[in-house]
Amino acid sequence: MDVNQYLEIFLDETKEHLESLNTQILNLEQEPEDADTINEIFRAAHSLKGMAGTMGYKRMQTLTHDMENVFSEIRNGTMKVNSNLIDTLFQCLDALEEYTNNIQETADEGTNDNQQLINQLNEYLNGSKAGKEDAPAAPEKESKEASESSNSDEKWKEIKIGEPELVVLEAAKSQGKGIFGISVFVEESCLLKAARAFQVYKEIEEKAEVIACNPSVQEIEDEKFDLSFSLVVISDYELEQVIKEAKNVSEIEKIEAGSFEFEVQETTEIHQAPEGKEETAVAALPKETSSAPAKPQKAAPAKTNDKKPAGKPVANRTVRVDIEKLDVLMNLVSELIIAKNSMVADSRAEEGTGFREHIEYLESVTTNLHESVMKVRMVPIESVVSKFPRMIRDLSKKLNKKMELYMSGEETELDRTVVDEIGDPLMHLLRNAADHGLESGELRIKRGKPEVGSIFLNAYQDGNNVVIEVKDDGNGIDVESVKNKAIERGVITPEQAVSMSEKDIINLLFHAGFSTAKTISDVSGRGVGLDVVKSKIESLSGEVEVKTSLEEGSTWTIRLPLTLAIIQALMVTVGGEKYAISLGSIQTIEDISPSDVKLVENKEVINLRGSVIPIIRLSRELDIESCKTPDENIMVVIVKKGERYAGLVVDELIGQQEIVIKSLGKYISKCRIISGATILGDGEVALILDANALI
Amino acid sequence: MDELKVSGLDGTDVKSGYDAQQYIVIKLGHEQYGIDIKFIDNIVRMQHITRVPKVADYLKGVINLRGEVIPVMSLRIKMNLPADEITKATRIIILKLEQQGTIGVIVDEVREVVTLNPSQIERASYDGKEDKTSFIMGIGKHENELISLLDLNAVALEK
Repeated sequence: MDVNQYLEIFLDETKEHLESLNTQILNLEQEPEDADTINEIFRAAHSLKGMAGTMGYKRMQTLTHDMENVFSEIRNGTMKVNSNLIDTLFQCLDALEEYTNNIQETADEGTNDNQQLINQLNEYLNGSKAGKEDAPAAPEKESKEASESSNSDEKWKEIKIGEPELVVLEAAKSQGKGIFGISVFVEESCLLKAARAFQVYKEIEEKAEVIACNPSVQEIEDEKFDLSFSLVVISDYELEQVIKEAKNVSEIEKIEAGSFEFEVQETTEIHQAPEGKEETAVAALPKETSSAPAKPQKAAPAKTNDKKPAGKPVANRTVRVDIEKLDVLMNLVSELIIAKNSMVADSRAEEGTGFREHIEYLESVTTNLHESVMKVRMVPIESVVSKFPRMIRDLSKKLNKKMELYMSGEETELDRTVVDEIGDPLMHLLRNAADHGLESGELRIKRGKPEVGSIFLNAYQDGNNVVIEVKDDGNGIDVESVKNKAIERGVITPEQAVSMSEKDIINLLFHAGFSTAKTISDVSGRGVGLDVVKSKIESLSGEVEVKTSLEEGSTWTIRLPLTLAIIQALMVTVGGEKYAISLGSIQTIEDISPSDVKLVENKEVINLRGSVIPIIRLSRELDIESCKTPDENIMVVIVKKGERYAGLVVDELIGQQEIVIKSLGKYISKCRIISGATILGDGEVALILDANALI
Repeated sequence: MDELKVSGLDGTDVKSGYDAQQYIVIKLGHEQYGIDIKFIDNIVRMQHITRVPKVADYLKGVINLRGEVIPVMSLRIKMNLPADEITKATRIIILKLEQQGTIGVIVDEVREVVTLNPSQIERASYDGKEDKTSFIMGIGKHENELISLLDLNAVALEK
């Protein structure tokens, strides 16, 4: 089978499962007894193994197989979770990630066997079985094949009957009910084994009560059986009637049945009946433990009400869409908007109310279309942030500081392209918080803080922006030490330092080649980092700010636009040229008399309702003559960047418009105050002013 | 334009085979220049160019080419010739370059397409005395006329 076409799906799903394993194993460390968590882990590990096997990645399969064995022991309660085990499991996940990355790059899993990890896992396994029946998993698996071929078709004879079932069976027998064993064989070509099995099960259940089932009902539902499964039932009907309907289910090869004989014994004899893969692990358990009788017992509650066990976590339902297809869709929408804009331009020339109505309709359609397409592109940031708790746990051990990560707003959605890019900057900030931000345990106690440091990662939507905060309750930024460092590094001169505000000094942290860590660790402190964070965020049209107070902690705030492709903009003219200013940054528009413009430190400012705002004459910034004479009133567009305001002086306002952002291309990207271009209704190109760069 | 296509296919040029390359001949001032046809994406009429502030003087701005925003440069200014005079014959040649992407260049006139064999091209010899970068990579001889073949990478290179 050519599996290459499934490679992408395989990679996607593997990553999903690895992420889920990471999270769940972290949970497991916190709550080692939580059955849901263990089941979830087991399920993810099992799917991983199955997928790796299907794709022919043997090494990956072997490793996950051994991990699965360990999980199985944990699930059965025969192995206790401890910190060392968790560490090993995390190392296994890292190894699996390495395989996955190799596969992504070369379609080959690489040659690393990770034998050491496998040995470690087996040690844990053997440790848990010490003194009990010695039955290693691997040979067991082989014997399974052998025993299976020699099996007769009357597999129901092998069903293990536990004591509770025996009681029921005896009662039934005394009531004169028929006790039957049934083995169902599914056709080899059957695609949905579980569904067929379930159909058969239901048919039989109409006429009879199912006492025991091998493999368990749960396993049948999860398709964890080969081609056959067996039941023991009691019924008032004749055997023929019981299985008559069941035989009609399609894709069933045959159904073998007969009356079931059982012996009343003190110790139940256990037959090797390795059907499902997981069965081997269970069968390998010592006879005396409760696990064998527990199996049919486990199936019992499920069959009485014939419902799936509640509380089963629903996997994240996603539709995978090729991002290129979305881009095409996006471009189409862009063109639609351009078409609409040209109609708007036409309508200004001719007066006609009907025409105008059509435009309004078209406008609402395009806006909705835009919104829905944007939504398709949006993904929760969860996929990025879910790896952080694990990272903090590792850092905590490495740095020998106690810390805890609290996350909120993982469901906040952002454009796919942004989400893909945001991981590294966030990781930098978190590492920074862990390494530089949080103090050592002793110092924290001395300062009257709890010994365990807290790091918060909060995400939320704020208007047209998404805000992600990284907060710690650590030391905060020592402004003096930053200042000294900056002077020492020659970033600023001592004279400059005197006149700099606290905020300006803190902003020096984003300067390339700046690191205040006294020793270089491999966590942070290489002097690259914050400047990379800043440039990365800015390349996504976002901004990053930091607030800090000494000995109380610092907050890093990343602000990102929701969308990168289509924005609402104010169209203005300057010196006869048209420019667009993003509506997101505009606060108000003011009509100011020239006499209200004052000079402060040789810079023009206006006093607007009590606050002094510097004004920027766009004509000067854009190297063009303004069309207005100096004595005319000036039109000022007040824009905001973070906490700062500025007034942009324009000649005239045209109006508000939805514009499609086009890149100016690499060749002409030198101009900082222009963030892009857009195509107007008449086909002309207008430039988009970047208010942030102007301030 | 039909006769442009056949020109170069008659006479001696036909034996050209694999090595022959086609050039579009353009006029800039009094000189003729050749641009390798494989880099040409399109030739459009002169249209409104939106000025972009704070860029090199030879970058005239950007145009809208079927929904894409393309930067346009003036070859004349880049080559230190007098500024462009826009006439009916003025065209913008859209070049697709590997490194710089798509760029438009303004030319006075587009004349014809010629096919040149390596034997008809004289490679430019670099004059050590001239430190100013040369935009010419060779001279092509075609029907008693000389065509300066433009080195597009040098043209597109930012100064």
